[in-house]
Formats: sequence, C-alpha cells, structure tokens
Amino acid sequence: MNEQSSFEEHGRRLFEASVENLDMRVRSRLTQARHAALDVSTTPRLRFLRLPVWTSAAGVTAAGVLAFAIWFGSPLARPHHAPQLPETQASLEDLDLVAASDENNAAPMEMLQDDIDFYEWAADHTAGTDPGNVG
Amino acid sequence: MAGFATLSQAWMAWDGPAPAPEDAIVDHTRELDKFLSEVERRAFRIAQVSLRDEDDALDVVQDAMLKLARNYSAKPSAEWRPLFYRILENGIRDLQRRRAVRKRLMAWMPGPKEDPDEEAVDPLENVAAGGADVPGLLMQEQAMSRLEISLRALPARQREAFMLRNFEGLDVAETAKAMGCSEGSVKTHYSRAVHTLREQLGEVW
Repeated sequence: MNEQSSFEEHGRRLFEASVENLDMRVRSRLTQARHAALDVSTTPRLRFLRLPVWTSAAGVTAAGVLAFAIWFGSPLARPHHAPQLPETQASLEDLDLVAASDENNAAPMEMLQDDIDFYEWAADHTAGTDPGNVG
Repeated sequence: MAGFATLSQAWMAWDGPAPAPEDAIVDHTRELDKFLSEVERRAFRIAQVSLRDEDDALDVVQDAMLKLARNYSAKPSAEWRPLFYRILENGIRDLQRRRAVRKRLMAWMPGPKEDPDEEAVDPLENVAAGGADVPGLLMQEQAMSRLEISLRALPARQREAFMLRNFEGLDVAETAKAMGCSEGSVKTHYSRAVHTLREQLGEVW
C-alpha cells in the first residue's frame, strides 16, 4: 500500500469512527426524517399537482399579457403631463357630445330607427318597388 | 388507440401511471428504507463537516431524503446513491449561499459580529460515553477535528470530491453524477484535495 492509499485509508477510518460515535439524539432525528421520507414515497400525489410544466408556463404568460393590457389601458400608464394625441382627444370629445345629446333625448334610439327605415326603403326601392311611395 | 387533437386533451385523459401491486409497493418501500438507513449517518456527517452545524446538517439531510423519496424513488435503486448525494450537495451549497448573504447583511447591522458558526468544537463533547478506550477515542476525535478543519479550508468542489470518494465510497462515475461534472474533473478535484490535505496533515496526523 503506497503512502497516498494509507493516507486515504486513515481518513476513511476516522470518518467511519465519527459516524459510529454519533449521539442518540442525532440518530433519532435521522430515523424520524427517514420515516417521513418513506411516508412521502408511499403517499400518492394529488392529480392536480401533477400538471405538466407547460401548464404553469402558460398561466404565467396569460397573466403577463393580462397585466400588460391592463397597465397600458389604464391612465396610470400615461403621465399627466404627457401631451395626448389629437385623435384620442377628438374621440373623447365625440363621446362627450353623444352622451350630452342622449341626456336630453327622450328616445335615444329614434334616430337609429329612422335610419333603419330608410335603409329598408332603399333596399326595397332598388329591388324594383314603386318609387312614388317615397315621402 | 385514441388520438388526441391537443396535448391538453391527452393530459386530461391520462389518469397517471398504472397503480403498482401492493407487494411491489411494500418491496419498494423496504428497499428505500434500507438505502436511506445505509446512507443517513454518513450523509449527516458529510453535511456537518461542510456546514459546521448539527441542526443545519440534519435539516439538509432530511430535505434530501424527502426530495429523493418524492421525486426519484421510482428510478432504479442503483441510481439513488448519486442522486441522493447530488441533492444533498445542492442543499449544502444553497445553505452556504444563504449564510454568506446573511453574513453580509449582518455586517451592516449593529450588535455583536460574532459568527455562531465559528464556535470552537471541544473534542471531548463528541466522545461517546461508556467507551473503554477513552484516550484512543479522544485521539481519534482530535485527528478527525484536524481533518475537518483542513477539509473546510479546501475549495468547495475539492471538498465535495474528497468526501464523496473517500468518505462515502462512491466511484468516479457516481461522484461525477453527484457533483454534476465530468469524471476528469472529479479526478482532478480529488487528486488536488488529497495533495493539499497530505501537505497540511501528513506530518502531525
């Protein structure tokens, strides 16, 4: 046996002796840990916990897209001092106008109803009905 | 055999692997019990040498046992040993990293700066009671303490290679699996570790 092997053997024997001299508290805790591990190995895992990895990845992606959409759709995403685009401004003004007109209108759908009548009539007309009925 | 349009449909239809017969479960559990009881004490000592703390070492070993049982117990038993030590070494490294972070944070906090991990170990505390050859045991304890101190001074990979090869008796291939590196790296780490330890301990050990 060469010097290196002797050295390694000495180290191994010392280690084994230290393992043999472990106190009862440590041995007991190791036994408890082993039993806990064995319990885990014999307990079937719940079905929903066995979802594939891509399921959680898809969930995270969906959450990210939703957060992105909410964030950029909210006023918080736009600084107050930032100038707004003219188109956006115009759209908001249009909405205000529509809302204001609706407030004083007893039959807000009436205008649309008129249009529908018109289109019905136009359709009939182009199909060859009598144009003299207009009016 | 039914085809599936999407992967999710296949997952919904799958009801897990076929249940093993009762006898097979008992045999498997017995085999795992035997394996864990064989490695648990040496694993604890290996963790203790690296971590210098009994409770931390117990926690890391328990965690490794649970992870092996939960995630890898279905693998062939011949693969358990390197897998178990890989989990253990990862646990040890994680804990050492957390300690390093905690130490850096503690350096900014007021109060005593003494690291509880640096407590001196009295070899007499570890001598088993009732032994006939107390001086012999004491000498063993002292020699082991010196070896532990030298091991802790080694780079982590060299220490891992030495403990897995020498203490646990893994061969080069198993050690490579446990350490997650090539067999050539294991040989290099081990050889350097032995060389350094012999230089430090050879004359007085």
